Amino acid sequence: MAVLEMPELTALAPPMILALTALVLFTYDSINPRSTNRPVIAGVAAVGSLASLAVAVWFILAGVGTPVAEGGNGVFDLFEGQLIVDQMALFFMIIVGVVTALVSIASYDYLRDHAYQAEYYSLVLLAATGMSTMAASNSLVTIFISLELASLPSFALVAILKSNRGSVEAGLKYFLIGALSSAIFVYGISLVYGATGHMQLDAIADNLGAAEEMNGLLGIGVLMLIGGFAYKTASVPFHFWAPEAYEGAPAPIAAFLSSASKAAGFVIAFRVFTTAFPLDVMQTLGIDWSLVFIVLAIVTMTVGNFAAATQNNVKRMLAYSSVGHAGYALIGLAGLTVDGGELVLGAAMMHLLVYGFMNTGAFLFVALAEYWGVGRTFEDYNGLSKQAPIACVALAVFMFSLAGIPPFGGFWSKYFLFTGALEAASANPWLLAVAAALVINSALSLYYYSRLVKAVWIEDPVLERESLSQPTGLYAAIVVAAVMTVLILPGFGPVADAAIGAAGAIIP
Amino acid sequence: MTVGIEYYVLLSAALFCIGLFGVLTRRNALMFLMSVEIMLNAANINLIAFAFYHGNLSGQVFALFTMALAAAEVAVGLGIILVLYRNFRDVDVTVPSAMRW
Repeated sequence: MAVLEMPELTALAPPMILALTALVLFTYDSINPRSTNRPVIAGVAAVGSLASLAVAVWFILAGVGTPVAEGGNGVFDLFEGQLIVDQMALFFMIIVGVVTALVSIASYDYLRDHAYQAEYYSLVLLAATGMSTMAASNSLVTIFISLELASLPSFALVAILKSNRGSVEAGLKYFLIGALSSAIFVYGISLVYGATGHMQLDAIADNLGAAEEMNGLLGIGVLMLIGGFAYKTASVPFHFWAPEAYEGAPAPIAAFLSSASKAAGFVIAFRVFTTAFPLDVMQTLGIDWSLVFIVLAIVTMTVGNFAAATQNNVKRMLAYSSVGHAGYALIGLAGLTVDGGELVLGAAMMHLLVYGFMNTGAFLFVALAEYWGVGRTFEDYNGLSKQAPIACVALAVFMFSLAGIPPFGGFWSKYFLFTGALEAASANPWLLAVAAALVINSALSLYYYSRLVKAVWIEDPVLERESLSQPTGLYAAIVVAAVMTVLILPGFGPVADAAIGAAGAIIP
Repeated sequence: MTVGIEYYVLLSAALFCIGLFGVLTRRNALMFLMSVEIMLNAANINLIAFAFYHGNLSGQVFALFTMALAAAEVAVGLGIILVLYRNFRDVDVTVPSAMRW
């Protein structure tokens, strides 16, 4: 029972650094809540998230989480399998670290007039701790607790502009749907526990179908769990909160929720459905969850992309595009087959990593536009390139990468998703429909993404503007995100290997 | 005499549906919160009944965690409802509707 041995526990360093940083900021906030020393507060948050990111990258390079048979340091099983640090956990800790660092740096300028600075960063870091722990959760207990740790600060963060009606409305809607879906999720957990008698994912897998008369309960429980995941990843049928919450929230928080929170939702979905509910056993029980994900993937990407194409508000367009991208990542679960699927699951993980850069960057450009106060619609963005060429080049990179134009990272992850879906189609012909939906929706998405690029680069401004300021933090975050979106291309080989390796390790 | 597990499940399913009905029909944000609490407690009944049925304690312990999390959720929710009231002078969840698609 030596669960508190130091060497084992250090495998959890990335989330622990985030938690420590959050507590430092919290202490600072309790001592001096009205402090406006923005460089120190934002600096602590950025350094903490960068340290967490650095440790996660170092771990994955040093072979922590890689099985000993493949020359690594072995998978770390903590607290009797409640938490697990494997390649997939580290991969998603990296995504959370990247997004948190970008958001902390960008918030430095965005929050210049905000009264309570340290409280904001402390909540961001607490939510990031929850997301990072979600990546390592290996039991329905830890999954639920870390999910709530990620959700509760997010509700407060969306509503943090307390006298702004939009922010409060967004916070209320996010909270109401969040509370409902967490109730559904915990009820699903109770049913799965009833059917199997266990909460730890491997133990659930061992006890599937042990009690024949409980299989109906198990099926309903699995459906309710899918509902909880759909909420966290902003997929159909629980996607209604996303456009409202992203539009009303401060733009850096919208970036944080749409990238990191979505990735964290996917990592628990990947782990639960590959570890606890192996497809071959579930099919013999008559609960074929891959069919559910096929339908959800097609519906989610179609709803997201068609709704995005009709928007006039840029932030709302990005919100619906994020619903569409949740549909692309769902292919990772839809494409799992009884004897394979690591390519398609790995592709979904790659897509979430690339998405962490390009989507965060796109929302941070919206944050920059809100900082300037230029307005919210496509017309308001007209001709921005004359005043801010660098940021607009970055915006073009994000948009073309989100659309999946060949030279950028977004193309490669979609390409892997497509080939993975085609490969799995030999076992399950329905995946041909998924692959077709992916291509059609990507083509459609090019329309509304390029509309934004056309607005900033080609159109003339409706009103003449003064020259625009260049806030350091926001610019730095946007440029880093753009550079990484491009640089991930030559580095795509190792990223793809890491993702596919991580996917192969969790598929039984 | 022990009560069969199916009665517990029926009770909790009924509570869950009552809570869900409340969520879908109530317009007062506080009533909405109470309905969500009923749904969470339905899950707690399940967890404790199944813990007794399976003879292990993880369900009971998890029910304690669920209660703590429900309390935390109410704390955050009441904070949001408070700023809602300050901005809209009402706790009706259908009043803030500036954002529609």
